[in-house]
Amino acid sequence: MTETPTLSELEAQAVRGRPAFGETAHILCDNLVRIFKTEGVEVVALQGLDLLIEKGELIAIVGASGSGKSTLLNVLSGLDVPTAGLARVAGTDLLSMTAKDRLRYRRETVGFIWQQTARNLLPYLTGRENVVLPMRLAGNRAQKSRAGELLDLLGVGDCADRRPGEMSGGEQQRVAIAVALANSPEVILADEPTGELDSDTSEQVFAALRSANRALGVTAVIVTHDDLVSEQVDRTVGIRDGRTSSETLRRASEDGGTIAEEYAVLDRVGRLQLPRDFTSALNMERRVRLELERDHIGVWPEGSEDE
Amino acid sequence: MNAVLLARVHRAPVAVLAILVLSASLLIAGLPRMMQAAYDDALGHLLDQTSATQTDLLIGRSPATTLDVLTEPAQFATANQTWWRLLPPELRAVTDQGPGSRAHYNAKTAGTPVAGLLGRRAMSGQFVNLGWLSDADRRVRFVRGTPPGPAGRISVPDHPDIPRLDIALVEQASKRMNLPIGTVLVLGHSNPVAARVTAIFEPLDATDRYWHHNEDMLNVSVRVKPSGDDETHITSLTSADSLLSLAGGARLLTYQWVIPVRSSAVNARNADSLIGSVARYIDRARIEGSVAGYAPQTGLTTLLSGFLDRLRAAETLLVLLFGGLLAVSLGVIALAVQLVGERTHHALSLMRARGGSLGQLVGTGVGLVALVTVPAVLLGYGAAFLVPGPVTPIVHVGPLVIGLTAIVFCAAQVAASHRRPLRDRRDDMIARRPSIRRLTLEVIVVVVALVGAYLLRNRGLTTSEPDPFLMMVPVALTVAAALITVRCYPYPLRLIVALVTRRRTAVPFLGFALAARARAFSALPVLILLPALAVSVFAAVISSGLNATQSDVAWQRTGADARIESTVEISPEAIERVRRVPGVTAVVPASKSPVQVGRGGTVGTGLAVDLAAYRAILAGTPLSVPEPPTSATASEVPALVSPELIGNATLLVGWQKQMTVVPKGIVAAMPVLGRELRNVVVVPFDANERVGARTTVNTLFIKGTGLDGRRLSEAAALAVTPVSVTVEEELDRITATPLAGTVQWTLLVVTAALTAYALLAVLIMLVIGAAERGTALSFLRTLGMPERQARGLTVLEIAPMIVLTTLAGLLLGLVLPVALGPGIDLSVYAGDLPVKDYPIDLITPALLAGGVAVVAVLGAFAHAAVSHRRALGSVLRVGES
Repeated sequence: MTETPTLSELEAQAVRGRPAFGETAHILCDNLVRIFKTEGVEVVALQGLDLLIEKGELIAIVGASGSGKSTLLNVLSGLDVPTAGLARVAGTDLLSMTAKDRLRYRRETVGFIWQQTARNLLPYLTGRENVVLPMRLAGNRAQKSRAGELLDLLGVGDCADRRPGEMSGGEQQRVAIAVALANSPEVILADEPTGELDSDTSEQVFAALRSANRALGVTAVIVTHDDLVSEQVDRTVGIRDGRTSSETLRRASEDGGTIAEEYAVLDRVGRLQLPRDFTSALNMERRVRLELERDHIGVWPEGSEDE
Repeated sequence: MNAVLLARVHRAPVAVLAILVLSASLLIAGLPRMMQAAYDDALGHLLDQTSATQTDLLIGRSPATTLDVLTEPAQFATANQTWWRLLPPELRAVTDQGPGSRAHYNAKTAGTPVAGLLGRRAMSGQFVNLGWLSDADRRVRFVRGTPPGPAGRISVPDHPDIPRLDIALVEQASKRMNLPIGTVLVLGHSNPVAARVTAIFEPLDATDRYWHHNEDMLNVSVRVKPSGDDETHITSLTSADSLLSLAGGARLLTYQWVIPVRSSAVNARNADSLIGSVARYIDRARIEGSVAGYAPQTGLTTLLSGFLDRLRAAETLLVLLFGGLLAVSLGVIALAVQLVGERTHHALSLMRARGGSLGQLVGTGVGLVALVTVPAVLLGYGAAFLVPGPVTPIVHVGPLVIGLTAIVFCAAQVAASHRRPLRDRRDDMIARRPSIRRLTLEVIVVVVALVGAYLLRNRGLTTSEPDPFLMMVPVALTVAAALITVRCYPYPLRLIVALVTRRRTAVPFLGFALAARARAFSALPVLILLPALAVSVFAAVISSGLNATQSDVAWQRTGADARIESTVEISPEAIERVRRVPGVTAVVPASKSPVQVGRGGTVGTGLAVDLAAYRAILAGTPLSVPEPPTSATASEVPALVSPELIGNATLLVGWQKQMTVVPKGIVAAMPVLGRELRNVVVVPFDANERVGARTTVNTLFIKGTGLDGRRLSEAAALAVTPVSVTVEEELDRITATPLAGTVQWTLLVVTAALTAYALLAVLIMLVIGAAERGTALSFLRTLGMPERQARGLTVLEIAPMIVLTTLAGLLLGLVLPVALGPGIDLSVYAGDLPVKDYPIDLITPALLAGGVAVVAVLGAFAHAAVSHRRALGSVLRVGES
């Protein structure tokens, strides 16, 4: 005689075949929260952010000042610890890392590039010495040849024996990318790498990032305000008020151009951020009316009649 | 990362650190050497000033029967070997048996009267003792006659066939007692011996401490009998052949073995163990010689114990100063390490972000600091060996502590700032409010400091066992003052801000508002600046208190511009001669003598002086004496008496004759006699004459300018050279003692070093905060503030902290001597007079504190001027990076 399955067994059976959220993602943020706290005051920089990035992707993160994008990058780079949620990079859970894990993570998994060119490099070391430094810190045999290769790959081979003061801003940032790549990380994170550069130089730096991404298969996450950068990546993630609010996907069109499509992001519990200009245009406040249609969901301002 | 490269890149802060470590190591290793040398010198000085009869070990024996008499030098030598053999090793190490040492033995009679002279009448009251010295051949030279030869026998009137021995006298005795060569004396009334003066001798070196043991052979001593007649005593020198004849039933014969102690071998460090060794030796010698009646004795134990007691008192002040210096120097070094840390922060942060482990970061930071500190410590340590003085453990430990502090502080600082993930804090968040826990801790520190100060005042620091808690009180007081300053600093500023708000110009408002509303400024500079100033002001106050007391003591001891005090009477002619000495303007004669007070046999001091005349010559000096007592009748002797005698209606005083004096008032203090008088009677100059005796002047109080004690003494031309001293000479004597000299020098060095440290602390603090300040100012400049005003703003922002901390330091420095005064005994530096008052001489401390404040503010101004030379863009960039 066959037993009748219970409700929970049926639910488990239904889910069993499906992959977990972001199981295959290289970078996973699930309901990520970061709260800065001092006595009496709290600043919630990340308010339940979800983000999935696949291995080898080159994505840009954009957002207004104070939206939380730098906090996100600091969390991903292991420089900061999130308050709650899930953050996993290349299989490493960033919330449960010990000090030793964090060190290994910085050495082996991520490379980082700051906006200020002066902050990325030590001014009294040459380009090559700067690139060799992370290798030596990680206890790797100082590989001058690898440093040379990286510098060549990024088009700054001639900066090997020059100090940062003798390089242009763009050269400094490209050497900084080489430094970030020194220990063959799986992910590189760049915080406004072209923020201090003119458009020509920005182009060179972005090209260097892209070549690192393509040639070395490194996942690259770039926080930027620079349209030049954000419009050239495959995916641009917009952040608003500490949450991912939109994604723009780009693909090549048949005529050789680029087609960009902007999407709103639906989180795991079904929340959706409507763009502010949309809600303002229709005077949507507090409550909206939803209607499930055959192939879409309609959203109406409160008090409007069905067509 | 390569520490050498980092050191090269950040050479300026690294050089500052190196200089600080070097100077601190030199001071911390050098000052104790200097102090220890001074302690040793003080003890050496004390031993040299004390008669060798007190400092040497003596074994004495008085033969009770003729069987005990030693007749041969060999017998003395045998006993001598025994005494030397009994010496414990550590005591043997400080004794002196070599050639030229005072080690010898002797035999002497005492109180041997001259019963008669052959061929003429003897003068009355003459005593010629007989003495034999084991090493006379090496100690004296016979200037006339023939050295004493073998003994024989002689017949003299009334005494047929008595022993005859030869003696030699010093010239002074021969002349004064009228005993030329060839004189034959009959010594002793019973069992007499005849002594023939065959030679006149003189010591080869009269200044040798050897003669302290045999002073009686070189100088005639005069004793005044109750009847007023003089007795003259001398000890003659005789030969070893006479040893047998020295003994006699009626003669007081003593033997003595002298084991000299080398004063140069005794020092403050081995004094304590020597006290034990001496006690052991005395016990051994007593046991060894108990049957034959040998009596070992020495004043060394008392001398050393007294010295060590005084030394403990002296050390307290130096330990306090030294501790203050050490604490401040460690603080400034910590600040310099912080500066180095600030400069290398970028490199280390980058290393951390690029995968550097905490160990690697700490290693790099420590490597850089060690690279600078270790050579600097070694150099300072080496240079300290140029400072004369013995090596004590602190000489090794001090520099080690400095080096370790710098390294450990660096390691802790690097570890603390890089241990957590970098972005754990955000600058745009509001400042933390002080936690209840911290406030409670601060209140506890303040309460403990106050309780400690109260206990210190009551108990004192110089008990036999130093109380470590009480030793920490000055430190606790300083920390408490610093905490109060840090906590209360904004309040007066907010008042100023409220006042300057109404003014049109923005700079004062902005400057004071920045200072008042900024987060409580870093505690470290305050914790350095405040104690540095407090200790240096404390040192300055102590120094001026010491100077005043030393001068006071010199006046008290001298009693006038100059004083002559004689053991023999000063005749009117001698007084006149003194009066005619150039520079002398007035002379007040006085008679000072031990007197019997009352009927109970109490011995006190009587001073007969014309108080009116004495008051006149003291006008304009720090000394004062009471008004002369008035008498109702001409025959009555009015007197001023010490407080305990005032209850008597009349008082019997046994001076030359018994006199009844009428106490008319109290004399609480009197120059020369001291401050806490007991059994003192001050009477009019002619008091003795009023009762039918004569006034024997033995003291002269002299007023004048450009006086010289030696010239005054020469002018008086007395039979026995008097004590003649001027205020300046007495002051020189007090200040020239090794301890007094060292403490003044230490006070000077500590004051100078702490002042320099205070300035450095301010400058380092300015440099550390330069980037942040630069950013703030550059934003203001973008709003249109001219550069000149920006400079002024920096000064206004920094100056309140400097001024307030300086004021707090000044106040604490002035309060410390008052708070600790009763707990610290400085009398050892001031001629043994307790230093009770610390005159609030505001000028020196105020100049010191004002100087520090002005130079620090000027430094802030200069720093602001240099900082603003950079372009605005670069300043902003510096601020952001």
